[in-house]
Amino acid sequence: MRNLVKSLIVTVALSAPLAAAPGALAQDAVSLPNLSYRTGPFAATGIPLMNGQRDYILMLNERDGGLNGLRLDYEECETGYNTEKGVECYEKTKATGIVTQPWSTGITLQVLPKSNVDKVPILAPGYGFSAMQDGKTFQWAFNPPASYWDGASMILQNISGGDLSSLKGKKIAFLHLDHPYGKEPIPLFEKLAAEHGFSFLPIPVGLTEMQNQSAQWLQIRRERPDFVLMWGWGAMNAGAITEAVKTKYPMNQFIGIWWAALDADLKLVGEQGKGYRAISWSYPNADAPVMQDIKKYVVDAGKSMINQAEGEFDWVFYQRGVLISMMLVEGIKVAQDHFGTKVVNAEQLRWGLENLKFDEARIKELGAEGMIPPFSTSCANHTGHSGAWMLEWDGTKFVKASDLLSADRAPVDELVGIEAKKYAEANAPWPVNEECKL
Amino acid sequence: MEFLNSVLVKPFVDMAAAPDFLIQVLWEGLVSGVLYALIALGFVLIYKSSRIFNFAQGIMVVFAALTLVGLHERGVPAWLALPITLVVMYVLAWSIERVVLRPLVNQPDIILFMATIGITLFLIGLGEIIFGGENKRMITEELGIPTDAFLFEPFGGFVSIEQRDVVTVVGAVVLVCVLLLFLSRSKLGRAIRALGDDHQAALSVGISLSTIWVLVWFIAGVIALATGIAWGSRAGVSFALEVIAYKALPVLMLGGLESVSGAIVGGLMIGILEKLFEIYWGQPLLGGNTETWFAYVLALIVLLFRPQGLFGERIIERV
Amino acid sequence: MLYRIAGQYKTSYEADHALFPVKQDAWLLGAILLLAFVVFPLTANEFAFRALLIPVLIYSLAALGLNILTGYAGQLSLGTGAFMGVGAYACYKLVTIFPELNLLVAIALSGFFSAAVGVAFGLPSLRIKGFYLAIATLAAQFFLVWLFQKWAWLTNYSASVAIHVPNIDMFGITVAGPTAKAITQYYFVLGVVCAVTWLAINITRGRIGRIWKSVRDMDIAAELVGINLMKAKLSAFFVSSYIVGVAGALFVFLWRGAAEANLFDIPLSFRVLFIAIIGGLGSILGNFLGAILIVALPVLLSTVPHALGLPIAPSTVEQLNVMIVGALIVTFLIVEPHGLARFWAVIREKLILWPFPH
Repeated sequence: MRNLVKSLIVTVALSAPLAAAPGALAQDAVSLPNLSYRTGPFAATGIPLMNGQRDYILMLNERDGGLNGLRLDYEECETGYNTEKGVECYEKTKATGIVTQPWSTGITLQVLPKSNVDKVPILAPGYGFSAMQDGKTFQWAFNPPASYWDGASMILQNISGGDLSSLKGKKIAFLHLDHPYGKEPIPLFEKLAAEHGFSFLPIPVGLTEMQNQSAQWLQIRRERPDFVLMWGWGAMNAGAITEAVKTKYPMNQFIGIWWAALDADLKLVGEQGKGYRAISWSYPNADAPVMQDIKKYVVDAGKSMINQAEGEFDWVFYQRGVLISMMLVEGIKVAQDHFGTKVVNAEQLRWGLENLKFDEARIKELGAEGMIPPFSTSCANHTGHSGAWMLEWDGTKFVKASDLLSADRAPVDELVGIEAKKYAEANAPWPVNEECKL
Repeated sequence: MEFLNSVLVKPFVDMAAAPDFLIQVLWEGLVSGVLYALIALGFVLIYKSSRIFNFAQGIMVVFAALTLVGLHERGVPAWLALPITLVVMYVLAWSIERVVLRPLVNQPDIILFMATIGITLFLIGLGEIIFGGENKRMITEELGIPTDAFLFEPFGGFVSIEQRDVVTVVGAVVLVCVLLLFLSRSKLGRAIRALGDDHQAALSVGISLSTIWVLVWFIAGVIALATGIAWGSRAGVSFALEVIAYKALPVLMLGGLESVSGAIVGGLMIGILEKLFEIYWGQPLLGGNTETWFAYVLALIVLLFRPQGLFGERIIERV
Repeated sequence: MLYRIAGQYKTSYEADHALFPVKQDAWLLGAILLLAFVVFPLTANEFAFRALLIPVLIYSLAALGLNILTGYAGQLSLGTGAFMGVGAYACYKLVTIFPELNLLVAIALSGFFSAAVGVAFGLPSLRIKGFYLAIATLAAQFFLVWLFQKWAWLTNYSASVAIHVPNIDMFGITVAGPTAKAITQYYFVLGVVCAVTWLAINITRGRIGRIWKSVRDMDIAAELVGINLMKAKLSAFFVSSYIVGVAGALFVFLWRGAAEANLFDIPLSFRVLFIAIIGGLGSILGNFLGAILIVALPVLLSTVPHALGLPIAPSTVEQLNVMIVGALIVTFLIVEPHGLARFWAVIREKLILWPFPH
């Protein structure tokens, strides 16, 4: 018996079916894969986002029967934030999916060079390389509505009251995950620090040290920076916020990027986290028509995976996920209208994502008024530069704490030009979009 | 010259310049050290009795903490959730012994080590299915652990000592003392040590292998629960905690794989030295984040001089 | 009946010492090589290349390197991931500093860097043994990963502290980079793996291999018999780290296309260790079998629910996958602690006897 089991296992293991073809799609449907993570050390931050993405598409299928009769198949491929699994998921889904959503700067790194060859658009809203803004160089990569460099610029605008020279002599600590995601904004910060005379102190947190940040916060206590900016993700956010409360660092000087605003993390400290701010291009509004529709067709119908007991429906991340799917679907719609076809392919979606027009009227039409600032993409501008709001934790939830901020384009665009050129040269021959005029 | 100055002189000058900060750093190091020692204790106990290097200790910490929090989420009050978690840990210990350890009784150490890694993977998958991936709040207050902080103001600065850290340190000391007494004075403790010395001899004297092993894994489970509560109350409980097992390994190297006192001394040494190095040398000179490797390099250096660790049994090899 | 060894006489010592004294083994190897060189490339699609074939080959090579250190020389090492990283970063620097250098030469040279680092971190093995050595190698693992992240020169001062593989040509065909074809990369990797395996087989069957085995079995006795322990252990670290470094260079250049420091972290070391142990410590064949099980199986498992049409959420599939791999590891260790290579040896014995019972 033992031997039989042994031989069975080995036979199955050794006879690898090589032509592993993904299943064929039914008529009039498109596959929208999502390289998600509901497991692993970053699951806490991933789950609400992916729930949001899923629920919006489910709602469209339920309420409208899809998009103009086209069924949208939302599919997840679990990566656990692991680059190897991410690449595997990409390889598996690139044949049938019309988009790829890597959800990790590490995976985006691996997939970006292949995007020209495989011709599948990468949608990385609010993450990935800020240089992807340059659509001429990165034809197949999109990061609307704002990039990390936009975010960095906007945070600085906000804390300096609009005038960066008022930061002269101040000290800004940059607590970040020791990972490409955390290192992304450093070049821009260093550039602006040199220009405007403030001192910039990067403080890395290793992946294994996320739960154990006492050394980093002791350093912050010693350095006494005027502001601490955080580029955290997953377990790092919770670790940082609890340590900040513990070392009594003034919360109103602690500001995070849009991925450092998970309601669950702030709930760990509750009232003591009051005053913590994060910049965000999405704002949760449970009463918005689109959210009400999701409630009606998906959540109340029992089709959602959200944790209702925790109030996940009202979370920033959940509603941001909804907006992300909204951008993707809008790209499909724009492509449908332009090419006059119901079933959109990857090439057409690329064009669609390059020509998004999220103006006030359209946002209102989609039922998301006040949830996302207006922006539009073009072939030269794959980001859109929507601007963002500063959200503040009031003890129980995040509220809007500023008017719409916008990034200072000059230093960002300059850096984008340099980085895009560097990337194209390092990966030569790199095809650029010749038809595009910057 | 400047380099020598910044390595040999400036750090000490910094230490003296802000003594309240130094005290805070030392306290944080102490607490870290105690937390590492707690994890290491679980390893030591199991190694002591069965020569198995139980890599699954890390995931047992997470499992215990998640079970406790999960039960509380479902409405079980804290005073009841605690004993139920202990029962769950017992069942886990029993099943591991029965399913994995008993068939592997006489295999070489490396095989047993690999088996515990296999258990780790299995429990990670199972745990994520049962508990989900979100970060959960540890029920610190419900367990009666105070969450305020003591504030001292020596030398014109301030030192903040979290009460839950004090509880952790006191609790760990009590745990270590109880363990030491148990192992040296009680009948069961002697049986555990006998088993660790020589399986065959212990069996021939009438000590039941399986009963003792289940007991030992259960105690390791209790330690895991205590560790889970201590770590979880700092930044929440999730599967990201599983990496803390890697922190315990240098402690084991330093203190010796089978010494309980070695675990606590090693833990304290590593905790304090690691913090001091990171704050005064690592951050200014090396760009920070040296905590990922300092403990290992320190333990390595000590091992070069004492291959069995500071308190470990001298390795006698017979040819 | 299948393995009819009756009638195969050896008339010289050399013939007796051949690698495959039984002809059928040689035929079997020939069949496998035919499969690898001809059949697979004709039938596999891109997913099979990139997610199954190429990673299995690269992981087998890394496991081969580790096996030499742990299986043949008995020095338990948990730093394999970091040594792969050294090989990868060294190759990257060579390729960017000398762009005209042939990729094969670059990979061969990068192995030497990895070997040097391996020997440096192998020095403690002269004093420390057993699990303590394993933990000491973890010092190498963590330190090197930290270094990869901090030392900006390694990544040519890239903003995202990551290395990208540029398009590299060899004799007019692109072998590495985004435009390289999967089939080209497959042949490249297959060639390198075959060459290194052939080298490893010869080394382990030779004098140095026997010295390593004696060190593994009882190093004090070996020393008494006159074997220089330092040379033996350090040469094991050298050869092992060389092979692991080459595997690391292949890992990044011929498979992933980009890398950052966390790629070479502990989970990679453990994965390679699993493959070496499940495959069988002290064997060459075991590495390939182990790699098929550990690398290919999860990929196949994740396609099963979709193929069967079961409505399981992908994250649950992933978690079940992890559970199954963990359970499989434990099962294999219980059922056959000496690994798949031993399993194959037992099957072969049975085949030699068949259809007779004994």
